[in-house]
Amino acid sequence: MQKVSAAVVTRRSVEGVLSAFPLLTSEEFECACRAFLDRIHVLGNLDRVGWSSIRFVQQATGPVLKISRSIHNASIPYYDDTLSAPVDIEEPQVEICEDDPEALIRASNSSNCLHIEHDVILSPTYQVPVLYFTLRRDSYPGPLGIDEVYQYLVPDQYRRELQEVGVMGGISFGYHPQSGTPAFFVHPCNTADAMKQIAGQQRVTPEAYLIIWLGMVGNRLSLPLPHELFATEGMKNPQGLG
Amino acid sequence: MESQATLNSIQKAVWDGRLPLQISLAPSESRIYDQTDPYLISYPRISYLPSLLPRLRAFFASSLIDPSSHAHDGWFSFEGVPLKWHLPIGLLYDLYAGADPASKGTAESEDAGWDIDDQDSPLPWRLVVHFSDWPDEELVRLDADGMVMNDAFINSVKEADFLRNGTAKGIMSLSKEDSSGLWKSVQDVELPSFQRISNILLPPLNQPFRNIPIRIFLPLPPDSGSPSLKVVQSPVPPSIPPASVAASQLALSRSSITPQTQTVGSALHSLLPHLFPSRRTPVLAKPVLHGAAVPMSAPVEELVRSSAYGDGWLYVVIRMMG
Repeated sequence: MQKVSAAVVTRRSVEGVLSAFPLLTSEEFECACRAFLDRIHVLGNLDRVGWSSIRFVQQATGPVLKISRSIHNASIPYYDDTLSAPVDIEEPQVEICEDDPEALIRASNSSNCLHIEHDVILSPTYQVPVLYFTLRRDSYPGPLGIDEVYQYLVPDQYRRELQEVGVMGGISFGYHPQSGTPAFFVHPCNTADAMKQIAGQQRVTPEAYLIIWLGMVGNRLSLPLPHELFATEGMKNPQGLG
Repeated sequence: MESQATLNSIQKAVWDGRLPLQISLAPSESRIYDQTDPYLISYPRISYLPSLLPRLRAFFASSLIDPSSHAHDGWFSFEGVPLKWHLPIGLLYDLYAGADPASKGTAESEDAGWDIDDQDSPLPWRLVVHFSDWPDEELVRLDADGMVMNDAFINSVKEADFLRNGTAKGIMSLSKEDSSGLWKSVQDVELPSFQRISNILLPPLNQPFRNIPIRIFLPLPPDSGSPSLKVVQSPVPPSIPPASVAASQLALSRSSITPQTQTVGSALHSLLPHLFPSRRTPVLAKPVLHGAAVPMSAPVEELVRSSAYGDGWLYVVIRMMG
């Protein structure tokens, strides 16, 4: 396995360009996930972006890229006045939960800690990546609902777009195709068109495809990517991702 | 391809298929514990469980300990397993009830194995309805207006459309009236109005599907205790492209260049080669659809055109033999 170097561009010769752009084959998806994981591991510390873990798991029904994230947001009230409370996710009131469990116990409002599990899988129908996620809060027994997703995760400027099924499709609540448990997902039916719009002129590698896509969908769910991913030649932060 | 008339008559038989259900109120929610009379109904296999909730809520109203619950708080379980409401009832039965599928040659009368007093007989199918303690970890909640169910159905229709055509433009271009009409025709089991709208979506008979909307549900070990289902889905074209026929065969005869028809057997063999080592004969397991064993030789496109569920999908349950 080739050691990962800084720029996506150097991988092009190794991975080649996509065979069915804007769709991904399952081989390309797996290759993209592995390359992305290698790159993230080279970057090291994930705390800056608030990720507590990233894993690639090969399950019986296909590969999954799993990203876990916890956010400790002091501005989250217990009883939500949905959408009227100014929740500014992108500003740095969002802190990372400390790993030390004792630290959590000492924190006065540890029950405000949010946990988000993201699973990226390849849709066998649409042949594009789909992001499934669940949102939980400490001290709350079950998964949180769609109102909390919009309140805590979706930045203001994307709220209307997602509620009206915009460029990236709306957020739906359904069943995770592998675990069979309830999960939110960003509907994939517009993903291929969106990828064509943004990356259509570039010859993208599987990994570049995944990063562009994750950047697009991540922006809409306050899932930040390490900025080093974009700070390389050939992978400038494309317009539309910001 | 069989004629439209043949496909239509099979489709009518599928839509006419019914299951006898015996639905009890969860004892913990009843004023008289397990003494509440059950609700009995013969219900279409292609229907969805939540359509029963309004009448069940009314039927059990006087027995409920908590009278404040709503119909859309209702959920169903079979032997303790919460049932996924987005799957049609017939599919849930084929998955969980453990009944032997009907097959050609086994001359059994319609009501064989029917015993309302025998708890071990598979029919009527005995379900429990609950109006509290929604299992949030396992089931997506319903809403009072039925929008959640409607969205789940339309999402599924959209996926089937995408597989058939390579785009989801068909369902997107349906008028609002037809798109809600499609869901209504399935809820009301109105085959004529369903056919009118689905004919707008389906490519004509002489124009093959790009891929077949098919999901394969695999059996779980009986003691797994897991309510999750293992589902296999992969693009299945209606014909096997010549590229996958051995090169030597290609050289031998011109006829092998024409694509071969994809059958249930060839699709299962390519998706699950260990369970289906043969394309022609079920050796270890057999495919079940609408309560019947599907012939391995059935062409998948004819099967989906005649026997899909209301959302356009073939949901095939794999049953181990032996």
